[in-house]
This record gives sequence, structure tokens and C-alpha cells, in this order.
Amino acid sequence: MQRLVCHVDMDAFFVSVEELFDPTLKGKPVVVGGQAGQRGVVAAASYAARKYGVHSAMPLRTAARLCPQATFVDGHPARYREYSKKIFAVLNRFSPLVEMASIDEAYVDLTGTERLHGPPLRAGHALHEAICKATSLNCSLGLASSRLVAKVTSDQAKPNGVLYILPGQEARFLAPLDVRKIPGVGRKTEAALRRLGIRYVGDLGKLAESFLASHFGRWGLALAGKARGEDAGGWFDSPIGSHEAAKSISHEHTFGEDTADAVQLETTLTKLSEMVAKRLREHRLYARTIQLKLRDEDFETTTRACTLDHATQLDAQIAAAVIGLFRKAWNGKTPIRLLGVYGGSLQQEEGQMNLLEEPRTARLRQTFRSVDHIRNRFGDASISLAKTLNNGIRERVHENPYDLPGKAPEGK
Amino acid sequence: MEFSVSKSDLVRELGLTQGVVERKTTIPILSNILVETDHDQVWITATDLELGIRCACPARVKKEGAGTIPARKLLDYVRLLPDADVQVKLAENQWASFICGRSRTRIAGMSRESFPELPAMPEVLAEIPLSVLSQMIASTIFAISAEESRFTLNGALLLLKDTGLVMVSTDGHRLALIEKHVALPGLTAVFRALLPRKAMSEIQKLASDDPGKKIEFSGNDNHLFFKIDKRLLLSRKLTGNFPDYERVLPKEHPHTLVLQREEFKSAIERVAQFADERSKAIRMKMLKGELKIYSSGSETGESEETLPVEYSGPEVEIGFNALYLLDFLRSVDQAEVELHFKDANSAGEMRPHGAPAGTIYRYVVMPMRI
Repeated sequence: MQRLVCHVDMDAFFVSVEELFDPTLKGKPVVVGGQAGQRGVVAAASYAARKYGVHSAMPLRTAARLCPQATFVDGHPARYREYSKKIFAVLNRFSPLVEMASIDEAYVDLTGTERLHGPPLRAGHALHEAICKATSLNCSLGLASSRLVAKVTSDQAKPNGVLYILPGQEARFLAPLDVRKIPGVGRKTEAALRRLGIRYVGDLGKLAESFLASHFGRWGLALAGKARGEDAGGWFDSPIGSHEAAKSISHEHTFGEDTADAVQLETTLTKLSEMVAKRLREHRLYARTIQLKLRDEDFETTTRACTLDHATQLDAQIAAAVIGLFRKAWNGKTPIRLLGVYGGSLQQEEGQMNLLEEPRTARLRQTFRSVDHIRNRFGDASISLAKTLNNGIRERVHENPYDLPGKAPEGK
Repeated sequence: MEFSVSKSDLVRELGLTQGVVERKTTIPILSNILVETDHDQVWITATDLELGIRCACPARVKKEGAGTIPARKLLDYVRLLPDADVQVKLAENQWASFICGRSRTRIAGMSRESFPELPAMPEVLAEIPLSVLSQMIASTIFAISAEESRFTLNGALLLLKDTGLVMVSTDGHRLALIEKHVALPGLTAVFRALLPRKAMSEIQKLASDDPGKKIEFSGNDNHLFFKIDKRLLLSRKLTGNFPDYERVLPKEHPHTLVLQREEFKSAIERVAQFADERSKAIRMKMLKGELKIYSSGSETGESEETLPVEYSGPEVEIGFNALYLLDFLRSVDQAEVELHFKDANSAGEMRPHGAPAGTIYRYVVMPMRI
């Protein structure tokens, strides 16, 4: 049966949600992610702001320089999650196989639904209408025979469009596009491809697989497949809606400016530990291995791990472990660019309890259960460990809400 | 230096030094033993700087002197000799020659100058029956933490009081405590020290020879000394604070089961075959008149055992690490054991049922949340 995958991508999701609550923002340059003078990065920019060159992941200060007249909004993660759930509910009406790739992006497997929803374009149109009706938000839809092409297609359909690539036409559709349009091709691969004289997807398609393999190894073979529009390599390989058990849960933070300030670094690690712990609790998992990732100003990356004598999902215990690793791994001088905290060796039960620390652990368990309740009601910033107050790290809003089926926590 | 000794005497004393001699040392001299003549005997000394042992071997000394010889090589060789006298001669150039029957061997030694000096034993604090100390070690050594980072838990707490001896060990998951009410001649004040695990196992080796003997015990700020006849074992103390064990000992348990030790042990051993490989978690369900022990591994299968017990309390289900329970059941020799418990989140406790008077042995195990 001809496979049909639909990729749904909300248009300027965070900004559009903000506009629903404050219609005066409509049509104006809006930046979600924080205030103009703050450290931190842009989570989303309205189309009006994008005209000035503002894009997501850009430092807020740069955005403010490019577009000083923009309205800067901190953002409302709770609202975004609520809308994400509404979108999921609509998608689920069209197919049982739905996978939220992030909070504002989903794959829907529509294979074999022709008798129900009509031919691909009609189904896509109906889905587009249904989302708009349920949420008053615009989105773009890409329909194709593979996940990969569907994703590229939805990007080409933006804003607020529906585009269908006929089976067999994938390679022709991809050929004129810049290689960067292929998911998984980042700055590094792009630069490497440029050196080989490859700029467009079509250039890739003309090359022998063996040539790519000799330059990029297995990733080269995957690239060749991707250029033909196949779901080759990595996460794209897995069927939609399949749930792999999480291997690890992690959070990273890149500093706006590299820093050697021990207090700031440890505060950040504590905050990242809080985020890891929160997600462990959301997924009802306990980590036995805690890993630290350290990247210095020269992009030198160090990882250090330790195995605890018990499994944990408590902020304070993860923070203590990771700060212990950090103090041993860092020389106290080299400016740090990025910090990461990983929880691994995940298990579904807490396992062995500790005789000497149980009274304290019991109190912590109770405390963080209450913390979770408070955060769920009033947002992640409403309560935190004292050490992480006013640290300037924002909640990562781009992730798929934990209770919707989607991308599992990142495997290592 | 020149002397002759009987092969069997030499092998016995050398054997005692092997646990102390460093295997992978960065200080070459610590792989050697120090041999010193002293009238009608030779002293053999080994140390790894944490632990030291000094023992004597009767000998006919022809010429006094001292030198060091690689410990491992020496024992491996001497063990292979026939049962006869061994003539040992140490030359000025540090080569040691051995003549036994028709065997002749030379082993390269090292000068004694660089061999570390062992601290001298201070005044004896108390005399302890070797069998008592040995039994206390056997009852606690398995609960010592294997995690090197938790160095205060890498040994047992030893307490000498007017009422007798107490030894406590814990790895944070379980705790073993044994108290022996014995007279300690010579003890004037309470003595408290952390005894490293390695020292405990060396004491066990000394005891295997003749447990009927007495230990002359002593300690100073840094070291502990155990002297049995001519053999002296000394160990650096572990520093740091041992956890406040009295705080974590359960004050009372609402429920108690009395179980046949052998039966209980075998049941756990069988069920543990199907426990999760990593966690070794098994479950115990206390029901009216019976104890159910069961496990299920998602890949291997599942197993269940039922033991008849006198119990009429509420239904309670608790998860335990099977290995922790077996450690205790293998270390006691009473026919029956007691299992005390409260609920799934509280520490359980095992004791030998009908322990001899003057002995208190408690083994506290934290449950698993499974």
C-alpha cells in the first residue's frame, strides 16, 4: 500500500498563541523568549519580526538590535502545552498513529485512510481546517510518502499551506533545494558538503553512494538515501507512533557568553538537574547514572559520569552528584561554553532504599511531589531550589509535552 | 645473614604475609618481605603502608643479619620444595640463596634500608578472645560498603566497653551489628575505632590457625594493633565519622516471623534465580499462616515459594535484595531465624532465633521499592 505521511507544523506557534490572548500583537514584530536586554535566546519570532532577520535560537540582544521596535514577550509555557494538547486531539481523530515531534510539530501516518478521508490533498485540507477550527491557529502541512519528504514539504508550504508530493516525484522535488533543508544536515555537514562542491540536494543525488560513504561513513549512506527522499538513518527510520523506551534524559545549556564564574556554572548545573529530575518524575523513571557534559571555549568537550548506589529522580541528589563531577572535571579557569546534565541507566522503580538517608530522602520525595504540583499549576518558574533563583535559564518550551505520544527523551 | 628453617614453618608464616604484600605497588620494596634474624628465630615483616604483619619462624641462625626478598616469588618457590630444612644465605650484594636437598636457587633481593619502619606497639589496652573477634568479623564483614568513595563505610566500627565488644558495619542499604558480652581484662576506658575491611580479613586468617588463643589489643591515634603470640598485625585506622548507627536501628517491629533458616535460605536462593539480574529484587508477602516469596524477571521467567509460618497480622508485601538476605542467612549457624518487619517502606530486621546468652546479633535491611 502506498505510504502517506503528513507532517503538521504550526506557523509561528508561540507567537500565534500569544496573539490569541493579546490580539493587539497581531501583525506586529513579536519575539517570544524574554525581554530585549536579557541573556537568553529567541524561542519564536513572528513573521513580521522575521523580516528583520530575527529567527529562533538567536540571542535576545541580537534580536533587539535587529528589530528594536519588536514587542518582547516572556512566553507562557502552560498555554503552549494546552494548545499542543488540542492539536494532538484533532490529529488523533484522523489517525491513531500520531507522533508529536515537538510541542508544535507532529507526524501523522495517514496510510490506508483514503476511504475515510479521501485522497491525500483532500485529507490534508480537512486536517488543516480542523486544526484551524479547534485552535484558531495557522499551520502548514506536508504530505508525502516518507517522513523526511513530508517534513521538507511542510516547510515549503509555509505559511498556512498544504502541499502534497506525488509518489515518485520526491527526488525531483528535493533536487533544487539547498542541502540544509534536509533534516539532520547542520552547519558542519553543510560546510563539509560545500568543500566537495555540493550545494543542492540534486548534487547529492548525482553522486555514487560509495563516494559519500567514503567521506561521511554511515552518515554518507544515510545522506544518499535522504537525497532520494527516503527515511534513511536515525530517528526517521522508525515507524510513526512507535515508542522506544527512553535510554537517558538530558538537558543542556549554552551560555550567551562563555563563563568561568564558578557560582554561575554550579547554579546552571543545579537548574539543569532540576529540569532532568522533573522530567524523570514526569516519565516515572529513576536514574542510576548521572553524567556531566562540559564544553569549553575551544569546543573541547568532556563528559564525566558516576553511578549512584541507588536510583533517583530527586533534584537535590542529581545536583549533588553532577556538581561533584564538575568540581573534579573543571580546572576552575577555562571559560565554559556549554553544560549538560544526563540521567542514564533508567529504571522504572526506585529500587533499593537507603537506611542512613531514608528519613531525608522521604522528606525530599514529599517536597518535590509538592513542587511538581505547584509547577503544573503556576509554571516552572514559580518554584525552584534557592540556588537557581534568577538564573536566567528558561524552561525549554519546545519539547513535546510529556503526556503526548512523541519523541521519547533523547537517547544517547 | 645465614640461617636454616623448616620448609613447613616457613611456608606457614610466609602464607600469612601474602594478603598484606602489595601486588601492584608503585613502590617496589613493598612487594618484598623483610627478613631479620633474632637469636633462634627469624622475623618476617610485610606491609602495604596501610596494613603490616610481623611473624616469627623458629630457625638455626648461623650469622645474624637482615634483608628483603620478593614475597610472592619466595612463597611460590618454597612451597614447591620437599619437606626438609632450607638453608638461607643473604649475600652482601642482596642476592638470597636457598639450598634444600639438591635444589639450589638464588633470588634477587633488595637492601633493607628502604623498607618502611613499622610503628611500635603501644601498651596493651585489652585482651580479647580470638574466637570472639573472629566470629564478630564473620557476622559483619559482608555488610561493609564496596564503594571506595564512602571511605568511612569501608570498614567496621569496633567498640570496646566494660560490658564487652560491639562491631557494626553498614553500606547504607543494610547494617549488621553484633554485641558480645565478654570480660575484657585490662580495659580502663571505652575505646572506639574504625577497622578497615582488609585488616578484618587478615585477622580471620590468623584465627583460622588456632581460634582458642587470646589477642592482645592496642591502639594509638593512627593505628590498631592485634598481637597473637608472636604474630603482630597492625592496621591504619579509617578516619572520619561512622554513621550514628543507633539512630537507624529500628526501635520496635510490629510483626515477627520465626523461620527455619535452611528452608528459608533455599527458598530465597531458588526464587532469586528469577530476580532481575541487576537489582536482585525479590518480593515477600506475609499472609495469614504463610510467607510467599516470589520474583519475576521479564526475560527469564518467574518463581514462587510458600513457607508455613505462624502469622496472623495484616497482609504485608515487601521487596528485598535477595543477596542481602542470603548474606545473613549464610553467616548464622542457628537452626531458626527471626524476621521482624513493619511495612513496605520500613527497614526489616533479621536475628538468629535463640542466640546464645551474651550475644546480640541484629541485621537491619532496607527494603526495595519495586
